[in-house]
Amino acid sequence: MKKKHIICLAMAVFLMVCWSAADAAQPKLAKEQILNIAFDAGDLKTLDPHQAASTNDRSAVDPIYNGLVRYPPGDQVKVEPDLATSWKLSSDKKVWTFSLRKGVFFHPFPGFPKGYELTAEDVVYSLTRAADPKRSSYAGEYTGISFEAVNPYTVKITIDKPVSETLFLAKFASYAGGFIVSKKAIEAKGDEWIKINPVGTGPFMFDSYEPRQKIVLKANPKYFRGAPILKQVVILFMPAVASREFGLRTGELQIIEGLKEDKWAETVASFPDVVVKTFGPCESQVLHFNMAKPPFNDVRVRKAFSYAVSREEVAAFMGKGLAVPIYSPAQAPPAPGALTKEEAQKAGVIYENNIAEAKKLLAEAGYPDGLKIEVIISEMASSYQKPMIAIQAQVKKAGIDMALKVVDHSSFHSLIRDDASPIVYYASWRPNVDVFLTRFYHSDSVVKTGKKPDTNFTHYGAVDADGDGKVDSIDELITKARWELDAAKQAALWREAQIQMLKNVAVVPIIRLKYNFPMKSYVDLGHPLEFSWATYSPQITEKTRILAK
Amino acid sequence: MFSYVVRRMLQSIPILLIVLTLVFIVVRVLPGDPAVAALGDYASKDAVNALREKMGLNAPLWLQYMRFIGDLGRGDLGISIITGYPVAKQVATVLPHTLLLTMSAIILGYLFGVPLGISAAVRRNSFVDYFNRVFSLLGLSVPAFYLGILLILLFSIKIPLFPVVGAGEFHNLKDLLRHLFLPALTLGLLMTAYITRMSRSSILNILAEDYVRTAHAKGVAENRVLYKHVLRNALIPIVALGGLYAVVLIGSSVMVEIVFSRPGLGTLMVGAIKQRDYTTLQSVMVIYTVIVVLINLLTDLIYGLIDPRIKYH
Repeated sequence: MKKKHIICLAMAVFLMVCWSAADAAQPKLAKEQILNIAFDAGDLKTLDPHQAASTNDRSAVDPIYNGLVRYPPGDQVKVEPDLATSWKLSSDKKVWTFSLRKGVFFHPFPGFPKGYELTAEDVVYSLTRAADPKRSSYAGEYTGISFEAVNPYTVKITIDKPVSETLFLAKFASYAGGFIVSKKAIEAKGDEWIKINPVGTGPFMFDSYEPRQKIVLKANPKYFRGAPILKQVVILFMPAVASREFGLRTGELQIIEGLKEDKWAETVASFPDVVVKTFGPCESQVLHFNMAKPPFNDVRVRKAFSYAVSREEVAAFMGKGLAVPIYSPAQAPPAPGALTKEEAQKAGVIYENNIAEAKKLLAEAGYPDGLKIEVIISEMASSYQKPMIAIQAQVKKAGIDMALKVVDHSSFHSLIRDDASPIVYYASWRPNVDVFLTRFYHSDSVVKTGKKPDTNFTHYGAVDADGDGKVDSIDELITKARWELDAAKQAALWREAQIQMLKNVAVVPIIRLKYNFPMKSYVDLGHPLEFSWATYSPQITEKTRILAK
Repeated sequence: MFSYVVRRMLQSIPILLIVLTLVFIVVRVLPGDPAVAALGDYASKDAVNALREKMGLNAPLWLQYMRFIGDLGRGDLGISIITGYPVAKQVATVLPHTLLLTMSAIILGYLFGVPLGISAAVRRNSFVDYFNRVFSLLGLSVPAFYLGILLILLFSIKIPLFPVVGAGEFHNLKDLLRHLFLPALTLGLLMTAYITRMSRSSILNILAEDYVRTAHAKGVAENRVLYKHVLRNALIPIVALGGLYAVVLIGSSVMVEIVFSRPGLGTLMVGAIKQRDYTTLQSVMVIYTVIVVLINLLTDLIYGLIDPRIKYH
């Protein structure tokens, strides 16, 4: 009996030691779980997830809503269940059936103080809304797709023509049109109301909005993945970088949107308790030539310009920790279908670092004394002005005198869509190569004159690019790739289309630039930060927490 | 006096109309589409067109103008074309912060500027005078945003005394004052420099007047001469130009609000320009114009109080 007692006591002591050791290994949480994150923005534009496009709007919308599937925070390749628990595809590859998670509740809103359970009706309503061009910026993604509620927990999605899983599931991920909105909230309150009163199912609920100041989100205790650790997330609009920097230094802010500049990042990283996070998705910065007008209607002039440019130098000028040279005019690697340097080299479509060849080509094209151009460029420093200043200095050596006309960002977008610049330097990220190719290089997307004018600044598909008297186009390749179900073949078609454009020097891919967000070292995001698919900023999830200093 | 005020208010209506028309034209002449600004570069042309229609931007310009003036006539500032948020609500949220900031700066300016000006004038060409002149010159030369950054570095980073983000809450006086201190000091130093300089030159002018010499000759005590004869007369230009500087101060408050991330008319206006938020921008300009008109009116009324020669008809 005595022996038994001793063994029990020893076991109890052992368990207590283990428990304390485990407790000690757990980092202690800060008393106040309020995260303040400041963006380079004057105000929100909209919290309607089907229209939110700017970095700060996406960041506010992301923790409020869910999609049928999601890319796990920090990941860009694999897809995992979100509101749907599973999905299956019919044998003709046209019908996708999604089973919904049970017990998911929308956030409370007037008339529904406890929220209500998400059903297939909400999903169908939401996706139909996302497909409506009058109510959604992403309607084009859902052309030829219909939605049906089979029962409260099953949704059937039918597509006219089968597409690969890569393209299909991306449309229903927790991003843009894939965010699921509340049918009852919108029917009761209207589309305008949810612009500043979002109702979703995510880990954080909308709490308040102060124009030009901040949005406050509060924890959703009923979140299906568990109640968030943070009690509140405050998203502040602070357009002055110095103010954001000061706020971070004083500790009033825990995360700030930074400048995409190495030197700045180095300085900020030297402040106490600050770490600088750089991550993707990187915006690809690509130089588009207007091939419809002289002088860039001549392939020799475009090639000369390209030969005068050095991507490595531009990347070094921007900061090697942030900028990486690219060779793909669509999405940058590792995205499926993106062109690597080796592939571009093998195809013989890299024209750079050769001033003598540039001068020779210019002379052949009838510009022996060089040429003068004026290019419209956005005021935004890291994505537009700085790299173009580097390129301006490079092409000057070849005799190209490029004046930069700097305008504010809104004006830039209007002017380039009005075909007003001979070169458009454009920084962008799109969810896949298909979207890139369609929006930037399909003949329907030619600015002003296309069937659906969009962002085809090169006029590719509407002009003779190589001077053989025939119009050059990659329209067929884009369409063929879109309907290709085999992922490898699809990627090969995307690469083929890009190589064709590079051969004709319609564009010169320059660099991709990572996002730069300094944050306090005691903020634990709860996931690795290599890639932020939905927000362009660190994603805030139910696992994000503030540790004790 | 009442009829004078009413007449002045009525006279300001044409000024207001001219300003409104100019603002209406200028914001629309600026390149940049509010719909593109709102939806971002990813949005399709269809989506942009649908939003333009919803924003009322596809209507003819004259119709947009008539709607704008008509709404204003009814006291309706409209809703933000970007967020759909009522502009009056936005203005009501931020206006108290701008008024608090500029009023604090004006009070600081007069509180320190007038005594500094007097001391410089009565001790002309002394060390005090040189010091005050250098101080006011510096105050006038250093841009408000730069001064703000220096004060932040000193009093928020090196010595962590004051916060740098936001304006605090009105229901928490301590918090409000802590947030107000550095921005008010930034603008206050600017105002102090104006008032010091102006007070000094105004008092010097009066000191050279015959009636001051007569008072001295009559053996009136120095302090009595200064406060009864000199200061009262010197106050007229100080008040007159003070009103003008208050208007300049409202302009400078834009930068201070941005540096200190304070809510205010300045941040509202800059955000509206960036977003091409026509309705908000127009309304902010209306508010600024009204404030300037009111300050001018107030300055004229104060004249009457300090100068008995002025009568209102």
